[in-house]
Amino acid sequence: MATRSLDMPSRVEADGPQAKQQTYAGAVFTKIYRDKITVFALLLLAFVIGISAGASWIGDNVLGFSPTKTNLRMRSKPPTWANEAWPIFQEFTRTCNSDAGCDWSKWGAIFSASRTGLRDCFGSGLGDCHWMGTDDAGRDVLTRAVYGGRISLRIGLWVAAISMTLGVAMGLISGYYATTWIDDIINAIIMTLGSIPLLFLLIILSRIFQPGPEGLALLIGIFGWMGLSRLVRGQIFSIREREYIIASQAIGAPPLRILARHVLPNVSSIIIVSAIFGVAGAIIAEAGLSYLGVGIGPPLPSWGNMMQGSLGNFQNAPWLVITPGLFIFMTTLAIYLIGDGLRDALDPWIRQ
Amino acid sequence: MTRYIIRRSLQSLALMWISTLIGFSIYQMAPGGPLQFLDDDPRRTQADVERLERTYGIDRTIAVQYVAWAFGEDWLPQTDFWRSGRCLSNADACARGIIRLDFGRSFSFKGTPVIKLIAERIPATFTLAFSSLLISVVIGFPLGIIAALNRGRWPDNVIRVSTVLLNTVPEWWIGLLLLIILGGYLGLTPLGGMCKIGDCTWQSRLHHLLLPATVSAIGGWIGFSRILRFEMLEVLNMDYVRTARAKGLSRRAVLWRHVLRNAMMPFVTGLSGIFLMILSGSVLFEMVFSWPGMGRLAINAINARDYPVMMALFVISSFLGILGVLMVDILYSVVDPRVRYDRTVG
Repeated sequence: MATRSLDMPSRVEADGPQAKQQTYAGAVFTKIYRDKITVFALLLLAFVIGISAGASWIGDNVLGFSPTKTNLRMRSKPPTWANEAWPIFQEFTRTCNSDAGCDWSKWGAIFSASRTGLRDCFGSGLGDCHWMGTDDAGRDVLTRAVYGGRISLRIGLWVAAISMTLGVAMGLISGYYATTWIDDIINAIIMTLGSIPLLFLLIILSRIFQPGPEGLALLIGIFGWMGLSRLVRGQIFSIREREYIIASQAIGAPPLRILARHVLPNVSSIIIVSAIFGVAGAIIAEAGLSYLGVGIGPPLPSWGNMMQGSLGNFQNAPWLVITPGLFIFMTTLAIYLIGDGLRDALDPWIRQ
Repeated sequence: MTRYIIRRSLQSLALMWISTLIGFSIYQMAPGGPLQFLDDDPRRTQADVERLERTYGIDRTIAVQYVAWAFGEDWLPQTDFWRSGRCLSNADACARGIIRLDFGRSFSFKGTPVIKLIAERIPATFTLAFSSLLISVVIGFPLGIIAALNRGRWPDNVIRVSTVLLNTVPEWWIGLLLLIILGGYLGLTPLGGMCKIGDCTWQSRLHHLLLPATVSAIGGWIGFSRILRFEMLEVLNMDYVRTARAKGLSRRAVLWRHVLRNAMMPFVTGLSGIFLMILSGSVLFEMVFSWPGMGRLAINAINARDYPVMMALFVISSFLGILGVLMVDILYSVVDPRVRYDRTVG
C-alpha cells in the first residue's frame, strides 16, 4: 500500500508539477496526526494496552498485590485512603435516607479525611494501600481491573476478527450473487438473527457451553456480523455499475479478481472502521454476559465478572462497580474516538 | 399492498418456525440431558433409567420429540414410537404442544406449568419495555430535531458528545451507578421491584418504574435522535423544501408540513430495531433493577438449568420480536405511500 499511490481526485488539480507525491497511507497518517482528538485516543488506548500487557509487572512492583490471592480478613474493605472518610460518608447517606434530609455539612470532614488518607497512601510501601478497595474475597480491586484488561481486550479483538471475516465474506458473496438463491439464503439468515433477541440466545449458549475467552469471543462474533454484511452488500450494489467495474468485466477479468482488486479496496475503510467499533461493542457485550454470571467465570478477572461480585452488595461496596466501569469507559472511549477519526482519515473524498 | 402484507406474514411464520427449531435444539445441546441427576444415585439401575426415559418419551427419535414438543402428542398414533409413556397410559398427561401454549412443566418451580410462570411475568416486562420505548421517543425526537436544525453549532455538538459518552459504557452500568447514588445514598428512588409491598398504588408503581424505564431507554433515544438527525439533514437539502421556503411558507410550516413528515418514515423503521434492543436488554436491566419480569426468570432458569423454562422464554421472546418487526413493517407500508413492496434488490 505504501509504495503504490492511489489516484485521488485532488491530485488531478494539484498545484503544478512540483506538487508533492503523497501515498494513500501517508495521507491517512498525516490526517490522523493533525487530528488532536484521535492522537489523544491513540495514546489512551496505548496506555490501556500497556497496563494490560504489563499487568503482572504492575501487580508485583507498583501495586504489590496478586489478582487472585484472597485475604479473608480484608473482605469488601473500602479503599485504604478512604478508611476514615468512608464511615462519615455512610453516616451522610443515612441522614439522606432519614426524614431529616441530607446533612451536607459532613462533606467537609469527608474531604479532609480523604486528603490525609491519600497522603498516607502515597507514602506507604508496596502492598500497603488498596487504591480501589477490595472485593468480597479480599482481593485488590485495582490489580484485578488491570489484569481484567487482558481478557476484555483479547475478547474484543477476537470478536472483531471473527465478525469482520464473516461479515465481509457474507457481504461480498451476497452482493456479488445478488438476487440469486445464495443471496436469498444469506438474507434469510440475517433476517432470522435480526428478529430474535440475541442477548437471550447468547446467555443460554454461553451457559450451556461455558466457554473460555476464545469460545466466548466465537459466540459473540457469530452473532455480530450482520450489520457489516449488510453494509458491504449495499456498497457493492452502489459500485457494481461503475464504469471501472464494467470496464474490467469487458476486458475479461474473472469475478474473483474484480472482487479482490476493485470492490474490496473500495469497501476497506468501512470494514476497518466497523471492525474497530466492533471491538468496543464486544467489550461491552462481554461485560454484560460476565455481569450476569454466564461469561468469563472467576477467579480469572474480567471487567464484567468483577462487577458480578457486587450483586446484592453494591451499596456497601460501590468501588466494585465503579472501578471496572471506569476501565471499560476508558477503553471504549478511546476505541470510539479512534474509529471516528479513522473514518474521516480513510475517506479520500473528505480533504482539508 | 395486501400481497405484501400476506407475504411478510408468511415470512414471519417461517421465522417463528425456525426459532422453535433453535429453541428445541437448546434442549438437545444441553450436556448430560435431563436424567443426568440419576447418575449421582448409587441405587439406580439400568431398568430405572429406561423406565423414566419411556415415561418422559426421551427414548423417541429427536424428530418425533420435536413434533411432540411443538405440535402436541395427543393426535399422534398410540404407539411407543410416537407417544411418551405417560401419554400412552393417560391421555390427560399428553403434551399439547407449544402451538397450544403448552411448554411443559418447570424443573425448578415444583412442576408449575411453564406458561403460568411466564404469564405472571409478561406484564412486568411489557410495562418496562413499552415505557422505555415511549421515553426514548419522547426524548429522542426533540433531540434529533434540535441537533439537525443546529448542525455544527453547540447544541448539535453537545448532543453528539453526550451520545458518544453514553455509548461508551454499558447502559446497565449507568443504571447501577444511578441506582447506587439516587436510590442507595440519596434515597430518592426505590432500590428495586415494581412497587412497595402492601402499598401497591399507581403512584408507587410510577415511582418504581421511572429510573429503570429511563435508563433502559438510553439506547433507544440515542438511536432515534441519530436517525432523525440524519434523515432531517437529508430532507432539508431537498428541492421541495427550498421551493416551500421560496413560495413564502414560514420556517415552522415548512418544518412541520414538509421536513418532519418526510423524515418520519425511517423513524418508523427504527422502531422495530429499538423495540428488539429493549426486549433483548431487558435481561440486564431486570437484573440491575430487580424487576420481576421475564429477564430475571431467564437468569433464574439458567442458573437452575431449568431447560423447559429456557426453551419457552427463548421461543416466546423470539415470537414477540418477530411479531414486533412484522407490525412495524406493516405500519410502515400503510403510512408511507412510497414503500417498495418488492424488496429483493437494494
